[in-house]
Amino acid sequence: MDAKKDRNILIAITAICMILIVITGLKHEWIAPLRSGVGLILMPLQNGVNVAGKAFYNSIEERNTLKQAYEENKALKRMLDELSLENTRLEEENFELQRLRSLYQLDMEYGDYEKIGARVIAKDSGRWFKVFRIDKGSNDGIKVDMNVIADGGLVGIVSDVGSNYSTVRSIIDDVSRVSAMSMRSGNNCIVAGDLLLYEQGILKLSDIDINADVKDGDKIVTSNISTKFLPGLLIGYAKDVTVDNSRLTKSGYLTPVASFDTLQEVLVITTMKETGE
Amino acid sequence: MRRKIANIAMLILAFVIQISVFPFIPFLSAAPNFMIIMVFTFSFIYGTGEGMLYGVVAGLLMDLFYSLPLGYFTLFFVLMGYINGSLSRYFYEDFIFLPLIMCALNEFAYNIYIYLSRFFTREKFDLWAYIRQMILPEVIITLLFTLLLYRLLLQYNRSLEDMDIKRGRESAE
Repeated sequence: MDAKKDRNILIAITAICMILIVITGLKHEWIAPLRSGVGLILMPLQNGVNVAGKAFYNSIEERNTLKQAYEENKALKRMLDELSLENTRLEEENFELQRLRSLYQLDMEYGDYEKIGARVIAKDSGRWFKVFRIDKGSNDGIKVDMNVIADGGLVGIVSDVGSNYSTVRSIIDDVSRVSAMSMRSGNNCIVAGDLLLYEQGILKLSDIDINADVKDGDKIVTSNISTKFLPGLLIGYAKDVTVDNSRLTKSGYLTPVASFDTLQEVLVITTMKETGE
Repeated sequence: MRRKIANIAMLILAFVIQISVFPFIPFLSAAPNFMIIMVFTFSFIYGTGEGMLYGVVAGLLMDLFYSLPLGYFTLFFVLMGYINGSLSRYFYEDFIFLPLIMCALNEFAYNIYIYLSRFFTREKFDLWAYIRQMILPEVIITLLFTLLLYRLLLQYNRSLEDMDIKRGRESAE
């Protein structure tokens, strides 16, 4: 008797779930208020646990870092010499670039985007989805599709906004595809997240034209033609670019600039890409 | 009744820990899946009805955290609660081997569910690579935590049951 009742409940819930999946899969914005409501309640709890956890972890980490710092210090001093040399050279090149840019009326609006800092408060502990939550939401002016950066590189895009939190999908998520280009040559390509590749710390670089000039070590930035990403944000460096079997395109890998595993603070760019208006 | 509320509260707390503590410990390459452990344990002890209740709670929490269609995780966890609940007649308190195997199977099924619906459908066919790199580490760490948590959850629930009985209320069947 009871077993039968349970089975009926199961069938009912299963049916409801399936209907909901179809409906909300098509009309994503319908559940936003519900998500936002639950987020609002869980937020203080998350924050508390998060702060406690981080404090504990940071104290362990500090001891380790000190040891590493000694070694790093030595290596860094050596690097400093090399870099100052290189810097002089780069400065020269920079002047030249500025001259050329004004010459060509190139207005790539680097760096003058408005940004808000945010703390990462929750992440997917599983390995399938590379999403995380930050502690700023619509109250702070965050909107869906805003770009998120950290460590000087692109990290992801806001996919979901509540009043006091928002969810960010990293560019390493398996469904992520970013339209990008080589900074040196301006040739277009696609940077796609791939779970299996990310285990080795890299992303997939694809759809490069066979004649395009994209070489290993090239800086890859977001392209002008992307619909959601602002142009000129650094993503990473090209690696192992080879010709595909089809002989029509080239593909390779990309080493990202941002370190996704240790993200604690990110910057949300509140300037948004305007398209079609 | 008190026990159910206490368990749901614990489920929510475990979820919060799962998303805001474990991911920030970089040397943990895999994190245990508390939702699986708890839904499994509760439904295995208390049967299909309660199994589904905790399944819905865990599923909704997951659904609301991820930006996926609502019901995606609820569907899995409700089924999981029901199936494990229907096996509760094999529940003996001193027997840890069966729960461990079942927990591993649940964890495996959960990962395969995500793989089939989210990756296989996007033409990522390399199942073996996903099993080796994504699924096995999580199954193993979840097993370890089951070993630790199963007894604790069991004892905790026994004491809650006693409290319910003392208060003259009806405990679970």
